[in-house]
Amino acid sequence: MKYLRHLILFFGLLCSAYPLVWMCVTAFRLEADAQASPFAFPKHWVTRNISKVFASGGFEDPWLNALLILVALCLAGLAVLVLLHIVQGRFRISTCIAVAILTSTVVFSKCHPSVQEALSGKGFANAYVNSLLVCIGSVALTVALSSLAAFAFALCEFRGRNTLFVIILAGMMLPVHVTLIPLNLLLGPDFLGLKESLWALVGPYVGFALPVSILILRSAFQAVPTELLDAARIDGCSTWQVFAHVALPLARPSIATIVIFNFLTMWNEFAFALTLLGPDNSTLPIALNDFKGERGMYIAETCAALAIVVVPLMIVYGIAQKHIIRGLTAGAVKG
Amino acid sequence: MKSHPATPYAFLLPALAVYGLFVLVPIAGSLRMSLFSWGDTPTSVFVGLRNYAQLLGDHVFWRALYNNILLLVASLLLQLPLAAAVAMLLSYKTLFKPLFRMSFFAPMVMPTVAIAILWQYIYLPEGGLASTLVSKILGKPFAYAWLAQPSSSPWLPSPSMFWIFVTICWQYTGFHMVLFMAGIAAIPEELYEAARLDGASELQVCRHIVIPGIKPTIAVSATLSIIGSLKYFDLIYLMAAGLPETDREVMATYIYRLAFDQGQGRFGYGSAAAIMLLLVAIVVVVPIQWSKRKRQ
Repeated sequence: MKYLRHLILFFGLLCSAYPLVWMCVTAFRLEADAQASPFAFPKHWVTRNISKVFASGGFEDPWLNALLILVALCLAGLAVLVLLHIVQGRFRISTCIAVAILTSTVVFSKCHPSVQEALSGKGFANAYVNSLLVCIGSVALTVALSSLAAFAFALCEFRGRNTLFVIILAGMMLPVHVTLIPLNLLLGPDFLGLKESLWALVGPYVGFALPVSILILRSAFQAVPTELLDAARIDGCSTWQVFAHVALPLARPSIATIVIFNFLTMWNEFAFALTLLGPDNSTLPIALNDFKGERGMYIAETCAALAIVVVPLMIVYGIAQKHIIRGLTAGAVKG
Repeated sequence: MKSHPATPYAFLLPALAVYGLFVLVPIAGSLRMSLFSWGDTPTSVFVGLRNYAQLLGDHVFWRALYNNILLLVASLLLQLPLAAAVAMLLSYKTLFKPLFRMSFFAPMVMPTVAIAILWQYIYLPEGGLASTLVSKILGKPFAYAWLAQPSSSPWLPSPSMFWIFVTICWQYTGFHMVLFMAGIAAIPEELYEAARLDGASELQVCRHIVIPGIKPTIAVSATLSIIGSLKYFDLIYLMAAGLPETDREVMATYIYRLAFDQGQGRFGYGSAAAIMLLLVAIVVVVPIQWSKRKRQ
């Protein structure tokens, strides 16, 4: 019985892991071999595919592109850390330095002419930077707006509280695709004029992230002991100070949940990015889709492109596995 | 907590503004646009409910809804039991338990686009993994267009939808498995011990203790599947592209294709389809939420 159970589980492991292993292996195969028999065991190993993907778009030198992606990834990690630090109320000098490095690098990368030239148009280096900008901006905004709103819903009394809360919760049940067409017109040249730029994504991403985030944070704030709030009040804290210095630091685990959940959802989002972005501003999923459209018949090369997008994610997942699983399940279940 | 009467509204204002502008206003806009012949005629004209009338006679639309419902039923009947079974297998003392959990959950972290591309290679008609496996079993060369099989009758879905559903299972089973594992872990240990003392077999334990114990989790998982199945877009849009247009759509992809595909630009008609999707979502979700509230 015990052996049968392990056998079944290992079969499941094979099914779930094999496509990913195949992808990584095929990324290092000769194109001709991969075309002839995609699922045979490779005889020759080459790194050509990887450098080819890096060379498409971005800098001339593929290694510069790889470096750029590495920098973008480190910045993404740094950004998430900074976000967590800020909401934990540990806003110390180290956090300030990190923020300074982060903003200056990002601004530099987007404004300096040589980098700008390299980052215009297609290529994964560009897509990494774009995804990074959109996700960090949207997640930061989501955390700020939803924690404020959730605090009011959880701990303040005012007229219309339940009605407003139900209206916001309704957004969670909504299939997002209902809004594809009107959002295209709203963001288009006749109204906001943001379409084709990265800014177009921030509004819809934050708007649709708010309901879940507010729900999760509201229950976190409701769990804050009332004695603590009253004590802070008696000591002369304003509502803002109670929020910033008492409630917010206590809601840490929930804030980590919404940061992880929203970051991954936005990082992988496809439909809005497909309709709202211009050809020069793809995020990662769109860059992958374009790559498949143009070079999909080259199996090894496409696998290299997939690996460049998926492997870093898997490394992060491997390191922060516990937090990511908890973040994604809690985020979805509460929603 | 007492505060100045205006303070809560100040806290709410930024969130409500963004939510209103990017979620509520577009829905209202959709509702309005669905009453116009926007994109079907050179100038947009108010046509009342004509888009809806046309939609009711549009068999691609019904087909899309049908595909949505089939995927929903399939995920309830096949995917959830699979996830529950894996979770039960893992609930015993297992070697490498964290490895299994991590590996089964991993596809949830990937972009759906990457999953779609990967599985298109698995389903390559010749030399793809699926075809290779079948040819190994049969012992002769085998080619089959897994993702481009038109349906054989108007009442049957395209077989390709089932193969896409396999991919959906690959993506989401780990997620539901984690939910079930948490549900099983919450069952008190004494119940098992009492049952074993009374001489219950493993199957009886499963039938009379585990399944009743994870009922709340089943409800949560089923709700998530139902709501999620109305939101299918990425995988279907990317993987079913080789099918004839009557077979390949779910509601969300149909809306997208009406409005954005190859300069169709049928914004009015597409909005009517979007409003229908919204109505379906309301019809499905409201009873679920209502019964949830009643139970609490």
